[in-house]
Formats: sequence, structure tokens, C-alpha cells
Amino acid sequence: MSKYKDAPRVRLSFALAAAVGAMILAGCGSSSKSTSTTTPAPAPAPSTTTSTTAATSSSTSACGSKPGVAATGTPINIGTIDTHQPGTDFTDGPNMINAYFACVNANGGVDGHPLKLFVELDQTQPAQVAAAAKQLIQSDHVVAIDGVFDLLECTIDQSYWKSLGIFEMDAGIAPECWSTPNSAAVNMGPRYSSDGAVQYALASEHASKIVFVQSNVPGTGYIAAGPAALAKASKVPITELTENVPITDASSVALNLVDDAGSNGSVVLNFTPPEALVILQAVQKLGLEDRVKSWGCSTPCDTDFLAKALGPKWDHKLFVNAEATDADDHNGPEMQLYKAILAKYGSSVAGGIGSFSQFGFLLAKFLVQALDTVHGAYTIKSVNTAIEGIKDYKSEMLCQPWTYGNLALHIPNNADYTVTPESGKMITVQGCTSISSADPQIAQYHKVASAHGVASGLS
Amino acid sequence: MHPFILMALSLPSWQDEWPFLVTGLALGGVYALSGVGMIVLYRTTGVLNLSFGAVGAFGALIAWQLINHSGVNQWLAYLVCILFSGVLTLAYGMVFGRALAGRDPLVKTTATLGLTLVLLGVMDLLWTSSGGASRAITLPTDNHGFMIGQVQVSTTDVIGLAVGVALTIVTTAFLRYSKLGTAMRAMANDREITATLGVPVRRVEAAAWFGCGIVSGVAGILLADLVALDATTLTFLVISSLAAALIARLSSIVITFVAAIVIGVVDALITPIQSLSNYRDMTPFVLAAVALLVINRHRVISISQEGI
Repeated sequence: MSKYKDAPRVRLSFALAAAVGAMILAGCGSSSKSTSTTTPAPAPAPSTTTSTTAATSSSTSACGSKPGVAATGTPINIGTIDTHQPGTDFTDGPNMINAYFACVNANGGVDGHPLKLFVELDQTQPAQVAAAAKQLIQSDHVVAIDGVFDLLECTIDQSYWKSLGIFEMDAGIAPECWSTPNSAAVNMGPRYSSDGAVQYALASEHASKIVFVQSNVPGTGYIAAGPAALAKASKVPITELTENVPITDASSVALNLVDDAGSNGSVVLNFTPPEALVILQAVQKLGLEDRVKSWGCSTPCDTDFLAKALGPKWDHKLFVNAEATDADDHNGPEMQLYKAILAKYGSSVAGGIGSFSQFGFLLAKFLVQALDTVHGAYTIKSVNTAIEGIKDYKSEMLCQPWTYGNLALHIPNNADYTVTPESGKMITVQGCTSISSADPQIAQYHKVASAHGVASGLS
Repeated sequence: MHPFILMALSLPSWQDEWPFLVTGLALGGVYALSGVGMIVLYRTTGVLNLSFGAVGAFGALIAWQLINHSGVNQWLAYLVCILFSGVLTLAYGMVFGRALAGRDPLVKTTATLGLTLVLLGVMDLLWTSSGGASRAITLPTDNHGFMIGQVQVSTTDVIGLAVGVALTIVTTAFLRYSKLGTAMRAMANDREITATLGVPVRRVEAAAWFGCGIVSGVAGILLADLVALDATTLTFLVISSLAAALIARLSSIVITFVAAIVIGVVDALITPIQSLSNYRDMTPFVLAAVALLVINRHRVISISQEGI
């Protein structure tokens, strides 16, 4: 038997160390969830926002070829992999795709076949993401990968998709979502969206210095390379900073950014909305809003949540890059359909109207359009041939037609808007503007697209 | 320090640094509030409550929900937050406190980690961050304040620091001079003997758990305003406070307060030093490790084996 003198303190120190370690591990804890849904015309759901409510009168019948006729054929299985972990929840994307599929299934389906979405959720673990891909193909027998909203998926699964001849469609984060032949995204992603925000600060605000700050996570070098190239082309100095998240000392961060930028400089943020909000609120509390020329942010800040939470002090002071048309500003037939589907079938889309659900809508819509071109059986080969063949699909939500194509890299969304808060909403202050070819990746895409006869810029 | 040396080390000058001292004091006050709250419960029940942050976060999110979606008066919503935190912590203490009373400190601590994870999961479910959702609590006191140099100090900052100071003084006096406080200290030393002396152990325990919950609710509201209204952030913010408590060897409320202030100030002062900035999250651990090494430098722990 052992006897420990002074044992309580020693044991408690161990207990404390173990407990803190366990808490940290718990923060990175994992669980995975797999769901599949064939959505045969669910009952109308309550809307999530006032804007959605306004659109309920719009018809959802436009999403299918046979209005009011439920699809009863063999389901077409579609797969997606999405990040869902504390602090990073991208499930609004697949939830919106499910809403769109429900609408299609209630209105004739795809040539009578209902669409069934298999959703694999992950917690940023490479092995988990790789296993999810195999699960979708080998067990769920999906014929297409559509609607991936994930931090890692493009990086992990590219070689697997290539070996199977699958062309995934996504709204990605990882560089491989844009730089590989078997992935194309409807969004611009953090690098090109940050490019857009920096470009606005340089061209419209005439900033004499840029301070670009983002989360201290893997891949920041890749993202920062874009803004750095743009600043260099404009002969404007740029300071690149990273901050550990979650941010707990936002006041110090805010002070540091303002000191670095100076009175004629601009600060550009690339964070998730909660983290960006923390910094901007600290700036406001410290009275630092006017100590720099302007504030910018990449697309995640384009949310009415943020505009409402910030209040009027930031109206026309914060300029946010927007990768898709502002749903509050536009109300064409496609936008009406999006709002109507969201109102009728999108009760699980927690964020309501916003870029996540818009990208989900687009990914579902483009897939259905591609499936309509398939003749014969819906196999991996036939469906992915149709996806690869997507060319010049038009949308009110994007500045330019969307093309997949047999290209070494895909940046089909390379023109954007700029929005700013006004009265608790984001409003457009600059229309469609091409991301500068000073970013070498953008330049390379235009070159590759041109060589294959693909229109790659604004017409 | 000579300007040339500062430049060589890429260190900012004192003029550049001192605004960070101001923000560091506010941050330290925030850490102190949580640290003192945890020490109070530990000194009375022997339980290191790791769910302190999660309970406060849950209460703050309920307050946000009431204000923004039910139109409830904000002060009433904050009161609900504080009471909810008190009742939830009390309920945990009453259900699990007695069962765990005689167990190892590691077991007691890990049990509160279980509550933390349950609350974190429920918060993630109820207040998802999907679709760009971001929330904030803005206290009316944010709109009032004063300038120190070029830095705006809000009344909320001052309240955060003042509540930490007040809690430290009141708790220290309460434990030392009041009858209930004495009973709490006795119970922490030996629950069984205290019970045989006629002290109503369960009622004293209940008071300690409820008090800790009330403090976590107050801290939750203040931290939601001063740091962020985010479940994960508020839940894990207790790690810095734990380091302060560890420096105080889980016994001194005053040292916990001072250590928390030092952690906050050092963390803030490192921010403008680019070469160190990304490592400043290590501040609580480095300071705790250094402090424990210094405190224990003359301590001898002897281990003997008997009866093998």
C-alpha cells in the first residue's frame, strides 16, 4: 500500500491538469452523424425570418417539371459531407439542398425520380472525412457529390473523387475546392473573398495601408497570398496578422489593428461572423471606428445577424465582400423561388435567408439542371459527365454564368459585390466587380479557361 | 529600456503599450470574477466546478433569447439568467454533490466536466452558429464611460473589475466572520465531523452551490458583453481563471484575484509584439507553471511504501 504525504495538493494538481486537458480534448471532441432524406413533399413549415414570410405567397411549383405531382420512381442518391462542430456549423447548406430537393420531389422529381440526399457530418478529422466519402459511395451508392460545405473535404477526398470520375460541386473553404480538376465551387472562398474586400479598400477607399487579419488556422498562408498580391500590385504596404480563435481579448486585438493600420489605412477581417462581431464590437466600445480609413470583411460578415448586432455606427463604415446577390436587394423570379422554397420547406435552415442557404439553393438547382440532361440510367458515369458538362448556367445570385468544364482548376465565381450595414441590414454599395488578376490564381484560371474556350470573366 | 534595444527586440514603446495595460486590467477583472467564483465553491465543498463557464453561458444565451425574441425587459432577462444559473448549479449540487462528497478530487472535477459537455451540446443545439448566426449582449453601461489617454473605458469595464474586487472582499469576510461561512470552511475540511457537530451540512452545501451559480450567472452576463456571447468561448474561458486559481493553490481568494489580473495584463501587453502575439494564449499556463515552481521550490514530497 502506498502512503502519500502532502497528497491532497499533489492529487488535486493532477486532477486539475487532467481536467483541463480533458476540457481541451472535449473542445476537439468528435462525433459523426449520417442522415439521409428522401423528401416527399413535407408539410409547409413556419418561416424563419420576416423576409421569408413575405415570400410565402410565391409559387414553389417552378422547381419541378410537373407541378403538384409527387415523384414516385426510384430515388437518385446524392451525397454530401459537411462540417458540424461547436463553433463551426455549416449544416444550413445541406438543409437548404434538402429543402430544394423536397420541392423538386413534390413537383415531378427528375423525370419522375425523387432525389435523396445522404448527409455525412464531420468534425474536421481527416480520417473521418475520408471514411465519409467511402461510406457515401460504397454503402449509400450515391451517384453524385453535391453541396459539400466543409473545412477539409476538398483536401482529403480529391484523389478519391478523381479515381472514381466524380466531379463534386461545393461551397468550400480548402484551397483544393478551386485548384483541382474534380471540384468546382459556387462560392469564392476565403482567399478570393478577402481579395475582394482588400480590392475595395484599395480602389474605393484609397487606403494607404492594409492590415489583413484572419484566424490562426492551417491554410492562412494560402489565403493571405491573394490580398498580399493585390496590395503589392497597388504598391500599398500590407501587414498580415493571425489571431487565435475564439478571441478572448478582443479589446487588445482591436487596439493592435488600429495602431498597425494608421489613420489612412484599412483593416480587413477574414473571420466567421461571431469572431468578426467580437472584434468589431470591441472597436466600437473603445471608440476606435474612425481611427482608420475604413473597415473591410470577407463574405462571412455578409449577414443581417451581424448588421443588427453592430448597430448604426457601422453603417457605411464597414464594407463586406459578398459572393452572391443580396437577397434583400433583389427579387427576381429565381430569388422569389429561393425565398418561397425556404419558407415552405426550409424550417431546418437555421440562418434563414443568407449566403449559406443561397449557395445551397444554387448547388441543388445546378445539379437538377444537370440531371435533366442525362439520358438513360443515372449512374456515377452518366451523372458526372453531365455535371462536368455544366456550361454557362445563369443565376440571379451570381455575377456571371457558372461553368464546370474539363479544367485543371475551377474558379467560376470570380466577380463579386460589396455590401455595407444600413438600418440593421446589409445593402449593396458596389455591383458586380471582377476580382483582380493581380492574384496569380485568378490570372491562371482566366488563362486556363480561355485555352478551353470557357468564358471566365464578366461579360 | 533604451529605444535602440526596444527596436532591436521589436518591442513597442511604453507609449504604445500603455493602452494595452488598460484593456488588460479589464480582461484580468473578467478572469478574476470567474476565478473567485470557482474558489468560493472549492473552499466550501471541495469541488472544482469546471461547468462554471458553461452555466453562465447558458444563462446569458437565455437572456439574449428573452430580450431579442420575447421582448422581455433586459434587466428582467438578466435577472432570469442569474437565477437560472443559481438554480441549475444548485440542482447539480443537490443531485450529485452528496453522492460525490467522499470521492477523490479528480472524480468530483470530472463530474462537473460531464455537466459542461451536456450544457455545451444543448447550447449548440438550441443556439446554432449555422448560417452565419452571431449574437451579442450589449449592456446599457457600454454607452457610458471615460477616456484614459486615447482609450475609451466603458462603465461595464469598470463594473467587471469592481464586481471582482467586491466579490473578493465580501467572500473573504463572509468565510472568515459569518456563521455560515465558518460552517462552509469546516465542511470543506471534514464533512463527516462537521455533520456530527450539528451543522446542517446539506443546507450549507446548498447555499454554496447556489452562491456559486449566482456568481456564474453574473459572470456570464458580464463576459457575454465584455468578451463574446458564444457558448464555446464562454465555456472555455474558465481555463485562464483556473490558472489563476492554481497559482493561488486553490486556497487564497485574494491571490486568485491578483493572479487573474496579472494574467490579463500580461496577455494584453504581449498583443502588439508580433513575434509573441500568437503565443499569448499560453500566458495562463506559463505563469501558473512558473508560479508553482517558485512556490514549491523548498517543498519536499516524500512517498513511502507500506505493507507490500
